[in-house]
Amino acid sequence: MGSRRHFLQAFGSAGVLAGLVGSGLLRPGQALAVDFNRAAFDARSATDALRLIGAAGAEASTDIILKAPEIAENGAAVPIEVISNIPGTTRLSVLVDKNPFPLALQFNFAPPAAPRFQARLKMGESSRLRIVASAGGRHYTVFREIKVTVGGCGQ
Amino acid sequence: MSDPIKIRATVKGSDGEVRVLLPHPMESGQRRDGAGLAVPAHFITSVTLSINGRPVIEGGLGTAVSANPLFGFQFAGVKAGDKVAIAWLGNKGQRGYAEALFAAG
Repeated sequence: MGSRRHFLQAFGSAGVLAGLVGSGLLRPGQALAVDFNRAAFDARSATDALRLIGAAGAEASTDIILKAPEIAENGAAVPIEVISNIPGTTRLSVLVDKNPFPLALQFNFAPPAAPRFQARLKMGESSRLRIVASAGGRHYTVFREIKVTVGGCGQ
Repeated sequence: MSDPIKIRATVKGSDGEVRVLLPHPMESGQRRDGAGLAVPAHFITSVTLSINGRPVIEGGLGTAVSANPLFGFQFAGVKAGDKVAIAWLGNKGQRGYAEALFAAG
């Protein structure tokens, strides 16, 4: 479970897991082992987090739509919506550069799920909000500066 | 953990939308209590959303996801009666699970 597995491999193992569920060894409701590099979530800088998720060389893209408030009144819950129009997007990652741990969230998507989501983030202070979309082994990025009126760091 | 997970799953035509609320404090580990002592990190580290038993969204969460995480997702090619299930795992080994059926919206 601590090892890094790729999403498709995880999907490949879903059948095995289903078998375990059928045999009663696993109860429905037990979370599947999810394949993310936890070290990236512990990174203290956006540069390190990007390197650890393999996206250091992400290229700017206008095909990722990021909806977020220009000014966030409450840093404890900043609503965002992310939509990737890049064909074959399998992963979206969210980083808040100035947070103590910049990597906030990652989602893997497989059909019929569309590569898009809505979420709420904590932002300790005004910061760059950065999205990385991964598709076919390549990484694309878009970012926005968000002003935070009341920081959510202590939340 | 007392409040139940809330799932709203609606479908129009073949387009589905799921909104899920996971009641959880999502303590960042950055906060201090009234006595000035650090409140230990206590947060959801992963979520898995399945449609009819097949995982289709996997999430990795850090401490910057707001308390009581609220997520919205979209699906193409689902129908009323399809089952959506969400399971989460926390940094202290705790877990949660809930399921619902897509309803015509």
